[in-house]
Amino acid sequence: MRIGVDPDVCEAHGQCSVVDLDLFPLDDDGYSAVGPDREVPPGEEEAARIGVDACPVRALRVLAG
Amino acid sequence: MTSVAIDDDLLTAEATADPYPPFARLRDQDPVRWSARHRAWLLTRYDDVSAAFQNKALSNDRVRPLLAARRQRGEPPREASAADRVLELIGEWMVVSDPPAHTRLRRLAAGAFKGQRISAMGEQIAALVDELVEAFTGGDLISEIAYPLPATVIATMLGAPVADRDRFREWSDELALVAFGTGGDARAERHERALRGLREMDAYFRELIALRRREPAEDMLTALMAADGDSAAGDRLSDDELVSMCALLLFAGHETTTNSIANATLALLRHPDQLARLRADPELIAPAVEELLRFDGPIKVLNRWVVAETEIRGRRISPGERVHLVLASANRDPEKFADPDTLDLARRPNPQIAFGKGIHACIGAQLARMETRIAVARIVERLPGLTLAAEPRWKPSLASRSLEELRVEVVR
Repeated sequence: MRIGVDPDVCEAHGQCSVVDLDLFPLDDDGYSAVGPDREVPPGEEEAARIGVDACPVRALRVLAG
Repeated sequence: MTSVAIDDDLLTAEATADPYPPFARLRDQDPVRWSARHRAWLLTRYDDVSAAFQNKALSNDRVRPLLAARRQRGEPPREASAADRVLELIGEWMVVSDPPAHTRLRRLAAGAFKGQRISAMGEQIAALVDELVEAFTGGDLISEIAYPLPATVIATMLGAPVADRDRFREWSDELALVAFGTGGDARAERHERALRGLREMDAYFRELIALRRREPAEDMLTALMAADGDSAAGDRLSDDELVSMCALLLFAGHETTTNSIANATLALLRHPDQLARLRADPELIAPAVEELLRFDGPIKVLNRWVVAETEIRGRRISPGERVHLVLASANRDPEKFADPDTLDLARRPNPQIAFGKGIHACIGAQLARMETRIAVARIVERLPGLTLAAEPRWKPSLASRSLEELRVEVVR
């Protein structure tokens, strides 16, 4: 499973990081530091989905898997 | 500085009953307002509040300077010793820290709040809610459902015995009393009693921590003790920090969640069309709770200290001043939300900021969401004949949006 963030859409709400700070790191200003394409470690797919769903502006996406 | 002639007293009887009209006036006429009444800047627009969360001139470190000032002034040593211990406890809280102290505490706490751990709590929370809702035959929905639930959830998550739940509620009230300085008339006496209660809490958490060091369990306290896997030295929370963290979880997670559930229920009772919509489509609960948090969330105002000169919307803000981030106003800003005063349970997207934003976004947001979703869903489903029994009154608080009671009738 892969996830990514659209930096033009991210508003630094930080709600993804609240779900899992390791899967959804933030930069110093609170914007997502997930990057355009990040692999989700096996077994953490559910947390990844919850985190993607927590984004209030849909800046995060599940890319595949 | 030109001052617009509007009433910015947010603690009048009218503003306590319905703060949204005064918020709208401030947003329109003076969105970055120096309020002599509150001795603080009031930020009421979404964009300004949002940017304030990232503004490094605005600090969260509010308690330690207070503690240092008390020491410098040499306040009465006897009274100060008990109060200082509690202030020290509160001063450790990550909600009143800036990076790098905040970054470290947040990293260490994050492991305990992982999505999977919270999801695993779902069944237990549902069982607790069912117990409370089934037993409810009308009366004050807050004291019977919304108030007991969060303290019990936190006690359960920390692995405290069921028999100790009531003490968690008392400590939560005492923390609020000391942290917010609420209490009214019998203030000095209540304050003293609260401090005694909190010393008990300190001892209780220390014992619980010692027990979990000997016998690790599948609970949040054990998770909080784990080392940060990313730090080379295997950094972990000290016992003092763990006590402080437990107190923070209780304090930050109790009243706010109580008010989220109560305010959401009241908003639904006042909007029967939306209540009917949720009843007809229970799948709507997730966006519904986001909208209910936006519409009348638990926190009106968050505070920041100004630590460096900064400018907001052309106003110069100076070190030493206070800034109030009016979350409840930002969440009704028409520049951000179409028809902001309309409750629309299916509103999407819904970038409400009831949980704050960025690195300080509420770490318990997922837990609070789950508790509120389960509680509101069950109240709507199991109490079909729910009606308001009395016009509710709000507590005169600047920080929180909190009902005195929510008296309802139940027809089963």
